[in-house]
Amino acid sequence: MPLETEARAQIRALVAEFRPEHGDLLAAMHSVQHHLGYLSSEAMEVIAEQLGLFPAEVYGAASFYEEFRFTPPAQTNIRWCSGPACRLKNGGGIRDAILATLGLHDIPGDTEDGRAGVILGQCNGACELAPMVWLEQPSTHRIEFVGNLNAARAVRMARALRDGATIEASIEETKRA
Amino acid sequence: MVQITLNGQTVEASAGRRLVEVIKEQGVAITNLCYIDGLDPYAGCRTCIVDVVGARPTPLQLACVTQVADGMVVNTETAEVKRTRQSVMSLILANHPDRCLTCHRRVHCMPGDICLRDDVVTHRCLTCSKNYRCELQTSCEIVDQGDFEEPWVGEPRSYYETPPPEPDRGNPFLEYDPQMCILCTRCVRACDDLRHTGAVTLSGKGHRTMIAFGTGGSIHESDCNFCGACIDVCPTATLMEKPNKWVGRADDWTNSACNSCAVGCTISYGVADDRPVIVRPDRLNPFSRDQICVRGRFGYVAVAERERLTRSLVRAGQRLLPATFDQALTTAVDALTAVKSAHGADAIAVLGSPLATNEEAYLLARLARAIGTPHVDFSHGMVHRAVADAMRAAFSTDRVPATLTDLEQAQTVVVAALDVEDSHQVVSVRLKDAVIKRKAQVVIVSPKWTALDRWAAAIVRVAPGQEAAALQGLADGGSAPAGVDAAAWARALNVVSRGKGASAAVVYAPNGADGAARAGAAATAAANLAIALRGAEAGSAFHYLPTDANVLGIADMGIAPGAGGKSFPEIIEAAQRGEVKALVIHADNPLLNAPGRTAIEAALQGLQALVVIDSLRSTTAEYATAVLAAAPFFATDGTITNADRRVLHQRSAQRARGQQSDGVAILAALANRLGDREAPSGFTEAHEALAAATGYPTMAQVDGAPAQVRALVATSTTAKPQPAPAPTPAHSGLTLATGRSLYTSWDAASIHSDDADKLHREEAVWLNPRDAEAAGVRTGDVVDLTDGIASVRIAVKLDDGVAAGTAYVPHYYDGGALMALLPLGGAGASTAALRVRALQPA
Ligand code: SF4
Ligand code: SF4
Ligand code: SF4
Ligand code: SF4
Ligand code: FES
Ligand code: FES
Repeated sequence: MPLETEARAQIRALVAEFRPEHGDLLAAMHSVQHHLGYLSSEAMEVIAEQLGLFPAEVYGAASFYEEFRFTPPAQTNIRWCSGPACRLKNGGGIRDAILATLGLHDIPGDTEDGRAGVILGQCNGACELAPMVWLEQPSTHRIEFVGNLNAARAVRMARALRDGATIEASIEETKRA
Repeated sequence: MVQITLNGQTVEASAGRRLVEVIKEQGVAITNLCYIDGLDPYAGCRTCIVDVVGARPTPLQLACVTQVADGMVVNTETAEVKRTRQSVMSLILANHPDRCLTCHRRVHCMPGDICLRDDVVTHRCLTCSKNYRCELQTSCEIVDQGDFEEPWVGEPRSYYETPPPEPDRGNPFLEYDPQMCILCTRCVRACDDLRHTGAVTLSGKGHRTMIAFGTGGSIHESDCNFCGACIDVCPTATLMEKPNKWVGRADDWTNSACNSCAVGCTISYGVADDRPVIVRPDRLNPFSRDQICVRGRFGYVAVAERERLTRSLVRAGQRLLPATFDQALTTAVDALTAVKSAHGADAIAVLGSPLATNEEAYLLARLARAIGTPHVDFSHGMVHRAVADAMRAAFSTDRVPATLTDLEQAQTVVVAALDVEDSHQVVSVRLKDAVIKRKAQVVIVSPKWTALDRWAAAIVRVAPGQEAAALQGLADGGSAPAGVDAAAWARALNVVSRGKGASAAVVYAPNGADGAARAGAAATAAANLAIALRGAEAGSAFHYLPTDANVLGIADMGIAPGAGGKSFPEIIEAAQRGEVKALVIHADNPLLNAPGRTAIEAALQGLQALVVIDSLRSTTAEYATAVLAAAPFFATDGTITNADRRVLHQRSAQRARGQQSDGVAILAALANRLGDREAPSGFTEAHEALAAATGYPTMAQVDGAPAQVRALVATSTTAKPQPAPAPTPAHSGLTLATGRSLYTSWDAASIHSDDADKLHREEAVWLNPRDAEAAGVRTGDVVDLTDGIASVRIAVKLDDGVAAGTAYVPHYYDGGALMALLPLGGAGASTAALRVRALQPA
C-alpha cells in the first residue's frame, strides 16, 4: 500500500470531490492536469483509488485524449491550431516551421531543456485570425493567441521561445517587420 | 437443452449459451480471435461470423454474441461466410508481420533463407517465438487465408510503414512485444475479469492504439503479478513467458500439480527434449480450474538446471566431494549405524519436508521405524499440529469436510491470513470473484495490507500475535482489540453478524514462523468464529490453508513425533545438548524455514552424522556427512494432498539427470540398508503400501477421477466452542510479521541463490510510518533489525498498510536470514520486541 506522502495528499485534495461511478473520471483528470500540469503515475494511482478504478483504467482513458500529458509540461506551450480555416491558410507550413525551429519531429513534443513545447489545438472559432497558435504558460494558466501568422513570423516567435524569451517578448518578435 | 442444426447435423445445446462455444465443442473449426470462453463477448475481431438462417438484419452473425435458441439453423462453411471471414482477417493482418500466414511454402522456409516472396526471411512467423503454436496462424489456416486475394500486392502495408513499437523485456517473467498485437483485448479482459488485477489496458487511439500496463510504464511498475493469465489467452506472440520463450513449443503435455502452496493448482507441463518448457493451467482441480499464479507457472525454472545436484556428495574434511550414489549411500548408512550402535536409535532424528510427495513421506516414516527412532518431524510440524489440535477440539476431527469449492459459494468469508494473495493466490482470486460476481462480503484479519484489501467489506488491522484476540472478538461480538481502528471493527462486526448462516466461511492460513502457541490460539479463535457463524456445520466452513503444498499429506503419512518422540525444536535442543547425534533431513532446509536459526546452525554443526536427501545443495546440505542427490519435484512421480485433502498426482516431466535418483528410491535404499527389507522402492509400490497402511485412495482411484478424490475426510463433525485463548501481552517494541512472499520459490531461497527474490519488490522491512518516525528512519535507509542478540541488515520501506508495532519482512528474505530473530519453535507470547537501529551513512 503506497505511502501517503505530501505529494499524494496534494493530489488527493485535488480530486476529493469526485466519487466512484459518477462519471467523474474526466473531471478528476482535468483537475489534476490543470493544477499540476500533467498526469504523473502517482496522480493516476490516486485518481484510481479515489474513483475505485485500476490505475490502468485511468491511464487507458487519459491516453485516449490528446490533451492529457504524462510528463511535466514545457515552460511555454505553443498550441497549434489544427482546424480547417488555419489549415487552408497554410497552418501546416506554420507547424513545420515551428517544429523545425524547435528541433522537434512531431506534435506533441518539447524541447530538451523544457523551455518550449508544441501541442495540438482545435478550432475555437477565432478563424478570422487564421492561421493561428496559442501561447500557454501552464504554471500561470496564462493564454495568449497569436494570429495571422506567416512562416517567417512563426519562426521568429519559436526562436525567441526556444531561447527562453517570455510570452510577451515572443509575441513582440512576431510583430517585427 | 434445445436442438439446433449445425452444418446439417442436429446438436443439443442449452438455450442462451454463446453459439461459438457450442460450435467449438462440436469439433467444428471456427476462428474466434477475441472471445474468451465463459466471459462476455467483446465482439471486436469479427472473425467468428457464421450464417444463422433467417437472422435479422442479415444472416451473417457473430457466433460469440449469438445465443443458442431452439431450432436455430447455423452454417459455418458457406461461400459467403468464408469470404467474409477472409476479408475480416485481411484487415487484422494489415498491421501484422504476416506474409508467411498466407504462404503455401511456409513449411519449407527457415530463418535466413531467401523467401519466395521477397528477400531474406528475418521477420514474420518464421522468426517468431510463437511459430507453430500461434492461434492467429491457425486462424489463417482455418479461413484459408492464402486463398484470399492479397490486398497488399503493389500497396504499401501499414506494418512496414511505421517503426515497430518498443518491447518490454524488463522483468523475469512476462515479455511484451507489441509489434505482433492484434488488439483483440483478450489480455485486458483476462486481467480484469478473470484475475481482477486490472494491470492491462488499451491505450491511445486510432493507429496508435496499444496495450499498456499500469499507468503506461513498464510491466513491473504496474500491478501485474505475473500470473500469466494474459499469456494463456493471447492469440499472438505479443505476450509470452520470458523463460523458454523461444523453445516453448511442447512436443507433449504432462498433467501434474503445483507444489508451491496448499491450493495445489493442477498444471500441465509442456515437455520438449526431455524437459518442461512451459506450464499451462490444467482444469482438473475444480477450484483452481483455469488459473494459477506466478509460482505455479515459473516454479520449474526458479533454479537453473546447473544448480541442481546431479551427483551425490560425501564429506572429506572441510569439503563435500562428488561421489557415486552407492558411495554416498554407504557413507550415510555407516554414519547412521555408527551413531546407532554407540548411542542407540534415540540419538538419531528424522526430518521431513512439506514439499515431499506422500510416497516419499511414507518411506521417510518407514526409514525412521527401520532406524528405530520416534524423533520424526518437519520444521513447521509444531504449527501444523497446533492447528490440527485446535480443529480436533472444536470439530472432533482435523480432517474436516470443508472444501475450497464451497468457498466460491460463500456469501460471508473471514480471512485470517497475513497475505493470502501472496501465500495462496488462487484463493484470493476466487474470493475476488465471489465479491464481484455475488457481492460476497470479505473480512480480512491481518497485520498488513494485501492486494485483496480493495475487495474487502472490512479490514481488521491487528498487530502480529493479536489475530487470535481479533478473531475471538468477532466470534463474541466483543469490543475492539487494542490498536484496532474502532470504525473498521464496527464494520467487521456488522458483516459477521449479518453473515451468520449457511453461506459463511472462515479461512485460516498460519505462518510457519508464528510458532505453535500463536498458531494454536489463532486456530482456536478462528474455529470459534466458524462455529459462531455456522453453528453445527462449522466443520464444513473452516478452511485451513497450510503454507506449504503437502503439509496435510506428510502428516497423514506419519511425519510427526512417535510415542516419546521429540518435536522439531526439541530435536534441535537435544542436538545442541549432544543427545541427538545424527539427523536425516529429506528435502527440507531448516536454516531457511525454521525460526531459531542460530540454535539450528549450532545443532547442525555439532552433529556426528547428517544425511541430506535433496535436489539442491542447500545451506543445510553444507553441514552434511553425505548428500544423496534427488531429482527435483518436476522430475518426481508422486501424490500430494492439498488443503482440500484432494489427492493430486504430481507427474514427472523429465527424466532424472546425471546420477539423481527418485526420492522414493533413495529413501527405500536407505531404509533397506538400515533393516527394512520390504521397503517399496518405486512410486507405484510405495503408493500401494501407503494406501493399505493409511486408508488413502489407490492410484486407480486417484487417476480415475483426477483431483476429485479426497483422502480421509471425516464424515461427521461436531461444533464445540473452546475457551477463548489467552491474550498475547503487548510490548512496546516492534513485532515481526513474516510469511510467504509471492515471487520467491522455496528452491531458489533454499540455496540462497542471488536471484531468489526475482522481482526485488519486497526485499525490505515494511514499517508503519509512525514507527519509522519514532525510530528516525525513512524509506531506503538501511537498518539493523535486532532483538538485542541477533540482527539482520535490511532496507526500510514505509507503508501505511502495516499495523503500528509491526515489522513485516518476507520469510524468504536473504535465504531466511530473518529466522535468526525468532526463537526456536517460533514467535510465542514472550517473543522479545524488535528494534530498528539506523546505521550511520557510510
Ligand atoms: S504472432 Fe503468430 S501470426 Fe504473428 S508472426 Fe508470430 S507466429 Fe506469425
Ligand atoms: S500476468 Fe496476470 S496480472 Fe500480469 S497482466 Fe497478465 S493477467 Fe494481468
Ligand atoms: S497482447 Fe495479445 S491478447 Fe492482448 S490485445 Fe494484443 S494480441 Fe490480444
Ligand atoms: S496458488 Fe498455490 S498451488 Fe496454485 S499455482 Fe500458485 S503456488 Fe501453485
Ligand atoms: S481553424 Fe484555427 S481557429 Fe478556427
Ligand atoms: S470472437 Fe466473435 S467477434 Fe471476436
